[in-house]
Amino acid sequence: MRDAPALLIVDDEARILSALRRALRREGYEIVTAETVADALRILDERSVDAILSDHKMPGMSGVRFLEEASRRRPDAARMIITGWTEEIPRAQLEEAGVCALVTKPWDDARLKATLRRALGVTRPGAG
Amino acid sequence: MRRTGGVLPEGGHDLDPDGIGEMDLGKIAVLVVNGAGRVVRCNAAAAEIFGRTREALLGRSAADWFPDETGQSVVARTLADGVRFEDAASSVSGPSGVRIPVAVSSAPITGPDGLPRGVLASFQDLSGIRQLQQQVLQTEKMAAIGQLAAGVAHEINNPMGFIHANLFQMAEYVSDLRRVSEEVDAMRKAAEAGNAREIAEAAGRLGAVSDELDVDFLLSDLTKAIRESQEGSERIRHIVRDLRDFSRQDTAEHVLADLNQCLDSTANIVWPMMKHLVVLEREYQDLPGVRCYPMQLQQVFMNLLVNAFQAIEEKREVEPESGRIVLRTIHRGDRVVVSVTDSGVGIAPADVDRIFAPFFTTKPVGAGTGLGLSTAYNIVQRHGGSLDVESELGRGATFRLTLPVDGVADA
Repeated sequence: MRDAPALLIVDDEARILSALRRALRREGYEIVTAETVADALRILDERSVDAILSDHKMPGMSGVRFLEEASRRRPDAARMIITGWTEEIPRAQLEEAGVCALVTKPWDDARLKATLRRALGVTRPGAG
Repeated sequence: MRRTGGVLPEGGHDLDPDGIGEMDLGKIAVLVVNGAGRVVRCNAAAAEIFGRTREALLGRSAADWFPDETGQSVVARTLADGVRFEDAASSVSGPSGVRIPVAVSSAPITGPDGLPRGVLASFQDLSGIRQLQQQVLQTEKMAAIGQLAAGVAHEINNPMGFIHANLFQMAEYVSDLRRVSEEVDAMRKAAEAGNAREIAEAAGRLGAVSDELDVDFLLSDLTKAIRESQEGSERIRHIVRDLRDFSRQDTAEHVLADLNQCLDSTANIVWPMMKHLVVLEREYQDLPGVRCYPMQLQQVFMNLLVNAFQAIEEKREVEPESGRIVLRTIHRGDRVVVSVTDSGVGIAPADVDRIFAPFFTTKPVGAGTGLGLSTAYNIVQRHGGSLDVESELGRGATFRLTLPVDGVADA
């Protein structure tokens, strides 16, 4: 049996991480979480993941900038943003960071799951 | 009420009120008071402000009218010491006892011997102007809230996000638990029927369902989801309460307030919009209670904080590093000093002199009204304090607000 696809979720709000973990419990992913960009980058230095779902407004570095950094470490991981303020992020920045999906907060569970399945379907599972 | 029949009672014989005419100066109210402190002449505007007829004002004692900031009558002081007043803030008791704010000017009328024989006073009803000032204050405050809206919405949206998701999940947990409960029911029925084989089967199914659904985890996570959601809704409640408190207008009465607390509660509202860019430091000294209108001072703090943040935001466009805002309070004798220091773009020397002028703004259209600092300046002045700024272009700015502890004078 293939390893479960690994998903890294980054949000400075621990309660959001907890709720996302809960929502995705039955999706069969290996879920790794980080509350800071620094922690997330450290995780990416140590291991590969299949997808990254990141908040945008975070102290220190924005989610889009983080995903750009992340793409240097793990170019194969699908990159997604989850934020309440999708319109605040310029299109060009999203393209530069290779963001393949934008999820708005509050999110719809079914759509979030579908988005993740799609994103994980387009990458090589267990790549890296 | 004692009236002294004639128009010229004792002490007023040097003053000839005739020949002054109607003294009709439009909205400007005029009174002539004799040496005994009684009204000997008045115009229609004066009568109107007092809500009486001219005849009813004549002969009345004006010796306690127009209290100045120390509570002493402007008329009495002019009469006693010859002190002149120009547009002094005061009030009169209008119809049905309402205090009407007025600006009063007074000058002594001297006799041939150079001694004061009476007082000439003019005054104007400031109710309309005060109302306008109040409106400007409220408008500026609402504009400040408008600038915060995105940050506040973000701060509400985050807990909304996880509460929303948790509710979905909790609904799923409940339907899982219903499956378990159905198996419990089936087992009870089997137990009632007393068929050992059926009981064993039902117990097997209950065990299987419980394992499949991981009931232990489910129960503990359900409890956790409820607790986290409660915390989230509590956070939203606080944000909404802070906002409502801030948008409230002050009561007419000044109160003794703890400025450290005022500063904190304002910072709490502004914090969400800046926390991703700013480190906030507080250096508070213990402060005595300050006599003030706390909501108005909070509006000043809000303006200074929003400005500080915008200065940092602007600087970030050139130097992407996080900014720093330091809030300081100092107790110095009968004064308190509140300062807000930022590490933002700073203020050009040419702008420093204009920064408190109404409608002066360097912000793009829509980002500010140009009234923030001038409103702040007015509020601080009304509290008998001062507001000044020190800045080095490119390095940041410090706004310093100095207030007397027994501050605000009665309006």
